[in-house]
Amino acid sequence: MTLLELKNISVHYGRIQAISDMSFSVDEGEIVSLIGANGAGKTTTMRTISGLLAPSAGSITFAGQDITRMKAHIRVVQGISQAPEGRGIFPGMTVEENLDMGSYGRKDRTKVADDLERVFDLFPRLKERIKQFGGTMSGGEQQMLAIGRALMSNPKLLLLDEPSMGLAPQFIRQIFKIVTEINNQGTTVLLVEQNANQALARAHRAFVLETGSITHRGTGKELLANPAVKEAYLGVG
Amino acid sequence: MSTTDGPTLIPDDASAQEIADREAKMRQRKGWFPGLSDKWNALPRQTQWLILIVVVVIAYLLPILNPPLITTEPGNNWQIALAQMSVYALVAVGLNVVVGYAGLLDLGYVAFFALGSYTAAMFTSPDSPYVHIPYLWTLPLAMAIAMFFGVVLGVPTLRLRGDYLAIVTLGFGEIVRILATIIPAMKGQVGFQNVGHPPGTDSSGQPIFLNSSGTPWYWLTLTIIIVVLLAAGNLERSRVGRAWIAIREDEDAAEIMGVPTFKYKVWAFAIGASVGGLSGALFAGQVGFVNNQKFDIATSILFVAAVVMGGTGNKVGAVLGGALVAYIPLRFTAIAEFKYLIFGAALVVIMIFRPGGLLPARQSLLAYGRLAYNKLKGAVGDIPPSGKVVLEPGKGADNE
Ligand SMILES: Nc1ncnc2c1ncn2[C@@H]1O[C@H](COP(=O)(O)OP(=O)(O)OP(=O)(O)O)[C@@H](O)[C@H]1O
Ligand SMILES: [Mg+2]
Repeated sequence: MTLLELKNISVHYGRIQAISDMSFSVDEGEIVSLIGANGAGKTTTMRTISGLLAPSAGSITFAGQDITRMKAHIRVVQGISQAPEGRGIFPGMTVEENLDMGSYGRKDRTKVADDLERVFDLFPRLKERIKQFGGTMSGGEQQMLAIGRALMSNPKLLLLDEPSMGLAPQFIRQIFKIVTEINNQGTTVLLVEQNANQALARAHRAFVLETGSITHRGTGKELLANPAVKEAYLGVG
Repeated sequence: MSTTDGPTLIPDDASAQEIADREAKMRQRKGWFPGLSDKWNALPRQTQWLILIVVVVIAYLLPILNPPLITTEPGNNWQIALAQMSVYALVAVGLNVVVGYAGLLDLGYVAFFALGSYTAAMFTSPDSPYVHIPYLWTLPLAMAIAMFFGVVLGVPTLRLRGDYLAIVTLGFGEIVRILATIIPAMKGQVGFQNVGHPPGTDSSGQPIFLNSSGTPWYWLTLTIIIVVLLAAGNLERSRVGRAWIAIREDEDAAEIMGVPTFKYKVWAFAIGASVGGLSGALFAGQVGFVNNQKFDIATSILFVAAVVMGGTGNKVGAVLGGALVAYIPLRFTAIAEFKYLIFGAALVVIMIFRPGGLLPARQSLLAYGRLAYNKLKGAVGDIPPSGKVVLEPGKGADNE
């Protein structure tokens, strides 16, 4: 069943067009990867889905509801949660305060405890560091915190913008493993990545974005095997 | 400054801990009262209250004690100095909601102060042709009017961010003063004399609240400050307070946590404005005279300086900062003429040695920390006592 659908979306920054006429959908239970070079428009796409940017044309449907004009803070309640690029954690808040903020929009306070349990299971490091300030965490820990915090809203759709950015190789693998685990627990994931190898290997379906338009689409495996994609994004060819 | 720096996570715990410690050390702040906030928060609730009560009693006794060395006499009447200090302290508490909690740099706060002053003056002064109401009624009225204009000015401007907001607010800081100059009803430089005061006479039939007697005004303002501080404390711990802190830290992140950022920014602006209006009305009553000369941009900047000096985001720091800003030129009359120079220099020095202000905000953030902790503790049962956790940026490497 389709969870998220973008139809003919265009996004402008002033006069600069960052996304043009983009359409794609994400089905319930999938991991969908969006890969592309720097400046291709990946972050712009994510921010448009989470509601931080308004599209200049097109429509977005989520769980059967048109959310094109819905404010970002309401989309969270509806089930879209984003771990922003560069993590966007609250540096002056402790780990626990950050996680608590993640559940800010929720009405079902009793279930928050279960989600906290789940986050601590996924990232035991966070449990060890609950009193540490977000801003003093290492890059990888901040990434864990950003993902953990995003999960605290118990989202239907998790948006991850370059979770592997700036991490050491063994940790990139671990983060991707955790992404798969989150997905196995029933959360749909839309993943933006520069690290195309891992992102495609983990994804059910994937899209390649070039200067604001989708140029390739298919299953993760198909794109991994696609010669053009290989040459441009996988460093082989 | 090493080339190997970068957001890499080292897989084993020992080296990760080392990184955390090193980062904590890098963030170390030198303070004048190192560890004060930790010590305060470690105290039992009852002890905290006891200390607070003693402080409050001393505050009420200040006009009678007239402590030598600290007093502003012989240069300036001590009781009137206290009354003015308390008004500035209240201003700083209000502005702290805007600048400190929500992180909105409002350089035009004097506009709300002026609105409050003119409200008190125009509804009580015999120079005003309008309806006259008892002075005390002008206090809530001033709050309401300032709050209304806070919303009116906030809604269009709070969509702007950072520098833009500062510039726009700087502009409307001037508006009230200019309007007072060009609108005949506001009487420009002539102004309004004999602004009203609260009722009551002493045994000899003299009004208690004379412009020349500072003590009753000081006690009135101090009482209002305490009420406002209690309200601000409750706000801090509420959903709204948490939302403000999140907005201050990272507005986009706050929005995608489900915080209606725009609404809460308007709230901060409006609440701050109402306290500004209230302090303006108290100021007008105490001084007894209002004209267009008192509400310039320099005053507005002074208000911001008070908040920053005290510790942006810390309400107790704001009281301290506000009182200091009023106190220094009154105490050191010889340098009063150079007060802006001195505050500028003082700000630079404070920002170098104590970037969080005299009382950094973390103290008030901790109120939230305790709340989050209790909530999470209830949820998880046993959160480990976390052996070597860095408690505060700068506190981790204290015993190097
Ligand atoms: N705030 C902004 N104002 C103007 N242009 C912007 C803004 N943000 C992004 N852009 C432009 O929009 C285009 C897409 O940017 P976007 O951040 O979406 O790229 P990206 O695919 O996420 O890149 P990266 O992999 O480097 O994060 C770029 O050309 C960028 O310069
Ligand atoms: Mg990006």
